[in-house]
Formats: sequence, C-alpha cells, structure tokens
Amino acid sequence: MQLGDSRTGKLADNLAAFARSLRRAGVRVDSARIALSTQAALAVGLANQDDLSAALEAVLVSREQDRMVFRELFEAFFRNPNMAHKLLSQLLPSAEGKAEPSKRRPRVREALSPQKAFGKQAGPKQEDQKVDFDAAMTASDAQRLKHADFNALSATEYRLVERLARDIRMPLPTFASRRNQQGVRGAALHWAGVLRQGVRTGGEPMVLPRLSPKRQPLPLLVLVDVSGSMERYARLLLAFLHAATRRHPRRDVFAFGTQLTDLTPAFRMADTDAMLAHASALIEDFAGGTQLGVSLAQLRAQHARKLVGRRTMVLVITDGLDTGAPSALAQELLWLKRHSRRLLWLNPLLRFEGYAPLAQGAAELHRAADAMLAVHNLSSLEQLATSLAGVMRR
Amino acid sequence: MLTFSSVDALIDALRQAGYFAERRLATAVFLALKLQRPLLLEGEPGVGKTELAKALATALGRALIRLQCYDGLEQREALYEWNYAAQLLHMRAAQSGAGGELEAQRVEREVYQERYLIRRPLLKALQAPAPGAVLLIDEVDRADEPFEAFLLEYLGEYQVSVPEIGTISAQFKPVTILTSNRTRELNDAVKRRCLYHWLDYPERERELEIIRAQAPGASEALSEQVATVVNRLRSQPFASAFQRAPGIAESVEWAKALIALDTLTLDPEVMSDTAGILFKQREDVAALTHALATDLLAPPEADDSGT
Repeated sequence: MQLGDSRTGKLADNLAAFARSLRRAGVRVDSARIALSTQAALAVGLANQDDLSAALEAVLVSREQDRMVFRELFEAFFRNPNMAHKLLSQLLPSAEGKAEPSKRRPRVREALSPQKAFGKQAGPKQEDQKVDFDAAMTASDAQRLKHADFNALSATEYRLVERLARDIRMPLPTFASRRNQQGVRGAALHWAGVLRQGVRTGGEPMVLPRLSPKRQPLPLLVLVDVSGSMERYARLLLAFLHAATRRHPRRDVFAFGTQLTDLTPAFRMADTDAMLAHASALIEDFAGGTQLGVSLAQLRAQHARKLVGRRTMVLVITDGLDTGAPSALAQELLWLKRHSRRLLWLNPLLRFEGYAPLAQGAAELHRAADAMLAVHNLSSLEQLATSLAGVMRR
Repeated sequence: MLTFSSVDALIDALRQAGYFAERRLATAVFLALKLQRPLLLEGEPGVGKTELAKALATALGRALIRLQCYDGLEQREALYEWNYAAQLLHMRAAQSGAGGELEAQRVEREVYQERYLIRRPLLKALQAPAPGAVLLIDEVDRADEPFEAFLLEYLGEYQVSVPEIGTISAQFKPVTILTSNRTRELNDAVKRRCLYHWLDYPERERELEIIRAQAPGASEALSEQVATVVNRLRSQPFASAFQRAPGIAESVEWAKALIALDTLTLDPEVMSDTAGILFKQREDVAALTHALATDLLAPPEADDSGT
C-alpha cells in the first residue's frame, strides 16, 4: 500500500489531529511517529477498531504510564465522531500547541478541551526572579547565616540561604562500574589498543595499554518528608538536593507525607525555581500528617525497581515524627535496608543538643538507619558530603 | 520470508508454536513484521516476553539469536570483536618478509579483514542466511545506559559500522524483539526506533488455555482452579498482601507440581504446602496463610462476576 493513498483521504488528517491531542495530553509523540501511525493504520486495516487501537498504541505510546491516557483518548476520538470533528476544527487554525506536562488523568480532559491557555504558562513565577539579592555579600554576613536555623529565617534571609545552599556541591560516593576505561593502569589488557600500537612496530607489542574499571556515583534515592513539622526544611532541602545532585546520572526523588509523590520529573528541570514550582504542583499532601510506613509500602509496591542492584544509597530526610503503626514502619524499613547499600537518615531535629530518637517512628528509623546526620543549617549541609563519604567507608 | 496476511493468521501461527497471544499483542507483532521495526516489550517478570520471541522464531521458521544483557555489557560482546591473537600472529608472519613504509600499510590492510572479525549476536543477526533471523535482545534494562547507544544504529537502520571495514547492513532484515522488566526507564532514542507493547498478566481464559497446553496431565477442574486462584492472587485485595505476583511460568509450574502430588482439587493445606512454587520470597510464602488460602478458594460466585 502506498503512503500517498492516505494523503488524499481524511485518514492522515484525523491521525495527525489525534496524535497532536495525545501530545497535548503529555504523551511524547514526534512527527516521525505520526507518519508511521498512518502506515500502521493501513497495515492492520480500518475495519476493526480494536485492532486499530492496538496498532496505534504500539506506534504512538512508548511508556506504560501513557497507555491509559491513550486508550481514553482513543475512545473519545474514534468512537465518538462528533468529538473528532470538533477537535479537527479546533486544531486546524491554531498554532503549534506545546505539550503541557501536567501529571494527572484530567490531562485527557484538558487535551480535549479548546486550547488557548497552552503555550502561555511558561513562567508564572517569573516576577520572583527580580529579588533584590545578588551574589555580592560580605563574608561576615554569610557567617552569621551559616549558623542560623532555617526555621527562624526571615523571608529575605531565607532567599539568601537558598542561594548559598544551591552553591554547595555534594560529591557523592562512587563505585567501580562494570564498564572499563583505557589507561596505563589496570588488571586487563586493552587488546584493541595493543594491536593498534603493535601495527606501528611490525607486530611487536611494545606498549601495553590497559583497562581499568570506570567509577560511577552510586544511584541515589531520596525520600523527603513534606509533612507539617518539616514544612520549612523541605522546601530548602529540595532546592539544595536539586542543585547539588544536578549532574548525578541516576537519582530518584520522592516526597512523602501521608502518601508518596514521585518528584523525579520535577527534578529533571534544570532550573531550581522551575523545579520547586513543578514540585509544589505535584505534592498534594504538603504540610499534612506523616505516614512513613504507608509511603514506604507504596514505594515497595510501585517503585521497588528504583533500588538498583542493592547498591543504591537511600537518604531519608525526616524528623521521625510518624503517626503510622510502628510495627508496619519497622517492616518496611527492614525491606528498604535490605535492598540498598546504605540507608541514611538526615534529621533536622539533631540541632537540639541532647536530642534522642524517642518518638516511636524515630526509634524505628534509628534502629534501621546506618547513620543519622544533621541537615538543619548550612554548616551541617557542608559537612554532609564528608559525613556521607565516611559512612560509605564503614 | 514467511509473511502473515492478517493478525488472525499470526495468532494461529503463534498458537501452533505453543504461544497464546492476546489480540493487542498480536497486532503489535504483526505491525513489527509488516513495518520492519523492532518491537520493545515491557512487562512484569514471567508474562511471556522471552517466550514470544522463541515462538515467533518457530512460527517464522527463522533462527533465534539471543543477546542476554547484563550490567557492563560491552560493544565487543554484543556487536563484534577483532581476533587480536590471530591478527598479531599474522603481523609477526608478515614482518619476517621485507620491511618499509609500504609494507607496514599492506600489513595493516590485511590485518583488518573480515576473516579476523569475530561476530557477536548483533552482527550474526545481520548476516544470517535466508530467511534471516529473529534477534532477541533480552532484558535491555539490565545493561547500563551507555550500552543503549551501541544499539541505536542497529535498531534504526539494521546495520553496524565497523570503522576498519565499513558498514555492514542486513541482507535480510532481522525480526528484532527487545524485552525489558522496567528496572529503569529506557532512553528515548531507543524507544523512538521501536514499536512498543506493554504485556500484562493474561486474563483468566488465556491463562487457562496455557495451563491446559503446558500441563496436559491436570484435570479440567484443577486447571480451572489454578487459573482462578492465580488470577485472583494478582488482583486486589490479594495482590497487596504479596511483594510479587506469580507469573505464567509459576502457575504452569504449580499445576505440574499439583499433578505430581496427585491433587484433584485445591484445598488450603495443599496451597500453603506448595506456596514455594508460586512465590520466591520468604515473606510472600509466609503471607499465604491458611486463612488467606481459604479466602482465595472461597466464593466461586464472586469470582464469576470478577472475570
């Protein structure tokens, strides 16, 4: 069958309109896919709608999460001719509508509604940018802030601290990966290199290049408590973590209060402010109660695979004031500990001298965690990197 | 090449090869064959991703070439490698003749020839004789991210570039199946080149078919019970009691074990005795208590409405 056939009819138009509404619902579809979808539709034929749906799904969807959105949209689009018509008329005159990466099922509804707000939502936070702070600050000023507690900061100081926290880089522990790099040291010979050198000397290997394992940072999984008692810390810690681990190839971030929220998509944004804006949109249980046990159970059920090969470093950032059942929490923590290299508890309450983990949740965390580190002010954050390295050596 | 005129023909062919494909899956496979695109299959362990590739190879009458991925898999283990020892020997032999700049160039040309090339799965699949091969790239997610880059040229163009020789492209485009357990999200570059299908656990009827075919010794009543129980284990509220739901392989194994134990119908005792076949984790085995087993077996009418 020729591709040209489809161009004369309505099929290509319909499919393109469908693909674009998919795109508006947040499914990533490029134009090569759209062209392929026409071929796919012709290959299975248009007689059977179920087959057509399966065929288009195979071409246009490439993530498990997108399947349900696809099916709902397909349902609306191809089984309801009026809807397709309406959409088509909407799409034709409009300019390129950029994909809006909103995260919930309402996105299907959003994709089907008339588009006018799209493409304009780039920077609602923009006015925040012209804060009257620049990097010019005296050393003594910084010193005072370093030992300030975030809880007691005024709004302006708070912003300055945020900037400082962003500037601290966190060197994370590494492990020897299975991938090799060429060098002068190492256990294995780099045969291709030996040969290449050997050609010059007529088959006599004079230099022996070697292969040594490349080092990679450990995969990182961060669980941040966003419940009421952690409200002020959470925002700052998120900003800090985002900035400090920006180059980290493999980091997953979850927020938890009474439920678990995957913040990894927000963390993919390069700009910290954009990340914070996105994260606040994602988190629904901000400043609520704490159910660490429930959240961990959710992690185990849905995201267990984020714990890669038992070498993941897990950071739990919480004050340990948990309202769930301690026995369930202990169970989940045990599981988490078994599946990770190190389980670290970063506790802002450590700022109080003579703090002891007496609350039930805190006691369980204390028992399970490999170490408890302070994260309540800047100097403790600066020490975090060294403490992490120390804990990993143990 | 053997082709299928319709999705139904493909379903029949797969069935004859011992694979019971549901229609959406068969459509995706049909498209992969028709459009000559690689097919990426994702799904929980034990839903039959690898089996599909095997069955497809049988149905198409093609050889199955398998590349098992693992962390640290290198280009030289997946694509090709030079036979360094033979190359060095050749150079030594050539060197005993006259020397000179021209001579060195000649030796270098000779050394990088196809006969010193060791073919690894990807290259093998490209050079497979008619009717071509089925290449199974199993558990791509186990390999690390840099490895995916080695696959791109193959997946996009069905060719491999060897710098010293040139580009080797497929005489007969291999049917390519990639599987992933989704331990991590694959790179978009890989996904863009593939068709995609998410394999779910089978519905009860299809699982029953599979059990009947794979464990023919089981009585009809027993097969039905096994299919029902396993199906309910995977759905709420039971699923949340376990860390990992049993796959198809587990239910078939279980049916076989029950035959070996001369079981005619399931009861809670037998279930907790054989829990080690369904679940591979101590917590899960312990979680299948007598009470839970009774619940699982209990209301047949609720089950009818469920399926």
